[in-house]
Amino acid sequence: MRNTFVKTLYEEAKRNENIVLITGDLGFQLFDNFQKNLPKQFINAGLTEQSMMSMAAGIASTGKRVFVYSIANFSTLRCLEQIRNDVCYMNNSVVVVSVGGGFAYGTLGYSHHATEDIAIMRSLPNMQVISPCDGIETEVITKILATTSNPSYLRLGKTGELNLNMNTPRIINGKFNVLREGNHGYIFFTGSVGIIAQKSVIQLEKMGLNVSLISVPFISKLDKDFLVEMIRDVPIVIVEEHVSRGGLGAAFMEAFISLNLQVKLNHVSASLENLALTGDQEFLREANGISVAKIVKFFIKI
Amino acid sequence: MTSAQREDAAKALSIQARREILQMTHDAGASHVGSALSVVDILCAVYSGSLNINSKNYSQDDRDVVILSKGHACTALYAVLSLTGFFPKTWLRKYSSNGSELGGHVTSGSIPGVELSTGSLGHGMPYGLGICIARKRNKVSGKTYVIMSDGECDEGTTWESALIANHFGLNNFCVIIDRNNLQSMGSTESTLALEPFVEKWKAFGWDVIEIDGHNFKELVEALKYSSNKPICIIANTIKGKGVDFMEGRVVWHYRPPTEKDLLEALEQIESSKS
Repeated sequence: MRNTFVKTLYEEAKRNENIVLITGDLGFQLFDNFQKNLPKQFINAGLTEQSMMSMAAGIASTGKRVFVYSIANFSTLRCLEQIRNDVCYMNNSVVVVSVGGGFAYGTLGYSHHATEDIAIMRSLPNMQVISPCDGIETEVITKILATTSNPSYLRLGKTGELNLNMNTPRIINGKFNVLREGNHGYIFFTGSVGIIAQKSVIQLEKMGLNVSLISVPFISKLDKDFLVEMIRDVPIVIVEEHVSRGGLGAAFMEAFISLNLQVKLNHVSASLENLALTGDQEFLREANGISVAKIVKFFIKI
Repeated sequence: MTSAQREDAAKALSIQARREILQMTHDAGASHVGSALSVVDILCAVYSGSLNINSKNYSQDDRDVVILSKGHACTALYAVLSLTGFFPKTWLRKYSSNGSELGGHVTSGSIPGVELSTGSLGHGMPYGLGICIARKRNKVSGKTYVIMSDGECDEGTTWESALIANHFGLNNFCVIIDRNNLQSMGSTESTLALEPFVEKWKAFGWDVIEIDGHNFKELVEALKYSSNKPICIIANTIKGKGVDFMEGRVVWHYRPPTEKDLLEALEQIESSKS
């Protein structure tokens, strides 16, 4: 996802000199093209996340579309107030990009994990929270972000994620990306944890259950028409690589409450107890309760 | 306009602005009157023709950008902007009341001439340098002036920004520090020492000039100064300047003027005209 993002943005930036990319001194060799060929559109701000974010807002105030790139929580929590005041409340055209959503940085430890970011970013006014599930969605979404101006949070995985989309999907802000349709229930997910959701759907299929697999890249704008039209009385499972509070699960709960819909809603997310464990992404997902077994259980209970 | 005319205009403006500040803080029962009286002469010099910013050109790309980073001194900015024609004076009468355009800290959005909402310290400088970087790279003229407090120099972003401005050679960037030596709970030196202050800025690669922040001749002169480096103007000021019972007293960071305070203060401002 990371490489697709940079490659796509570079292509967009070549065509549009209003695109500016700022990194907080992260992404070794990743931005060589930018630095070499588009030096006017690239800034390494050093390790100054707070100033970097206000600076991005200042640059955006002159009519630029500014992407600010760093790892997981460095581009979000380290400079939260700058995002809130200078980007969101001022409605400046900044895209906060975090690489390493969830436990992607694995053994580097919780300092490098983004497990509370969705909750915090989606609470900010004017902020659009976007989390693609693979390189294909990342490419489409990066193009959308390069040609729009809303304050946005783009939560990327890291590298080497398998594509869950077979073809380039039609991605529209506020719409779900339905990867597979079934009538025995729904799995909604966001981000690279989709691979766990996909494995669950395959396992359920072997058990004779056809479950819809749906990617939710636009977390801050759920498709309410879709929710109203859904088959009733089948399990719905929300899967995210994020703490149980405030993330995609919460967004669905809020939506169902506002629509006054009674649904069989289940949530697979990180418990708050084991966040500080050491391990790779796969280990940490499992240790924090994000697993195929847990998802499947919600469907075989009925 | 000659320099002398600008000085006279700024001086006349400062008397009116002080009256408004006192009236606004009194009417609203609001705090930070001391901070506003400290910074107001700087703002009067800024908006009296020394810079390329006025009520007609504040949306133009090449204007000089002025950001009041010490958002708590908002009454000074509101008064000066209103008195120089950016928005109606009637707005001042509703300052800090329910539904007012003018919030209790500098609030952007619907107020002509206000570039950035501030109130949380340490935002103006990095925001301003972002504008400078963008302008330099796109060959847009116009400088950016960030007016901040000395207490604000406790913030990490101040020194991050000092590094960045120097690194990117931002000779279109000027920071004006309202050096009144007082912050929230006491003197800057007893709270978190800033001295040797000039040397710190110099060590960060800035061109530093130190002036009397209530002397319009020095202010107008300083605003003309240009350099190949980012500029830091340390304007030595007195918190509560112009009202003897407020001068140099931390309590006026918080206390709104009573009716009696207001009348006494207005009288002092009036007699300062001569």
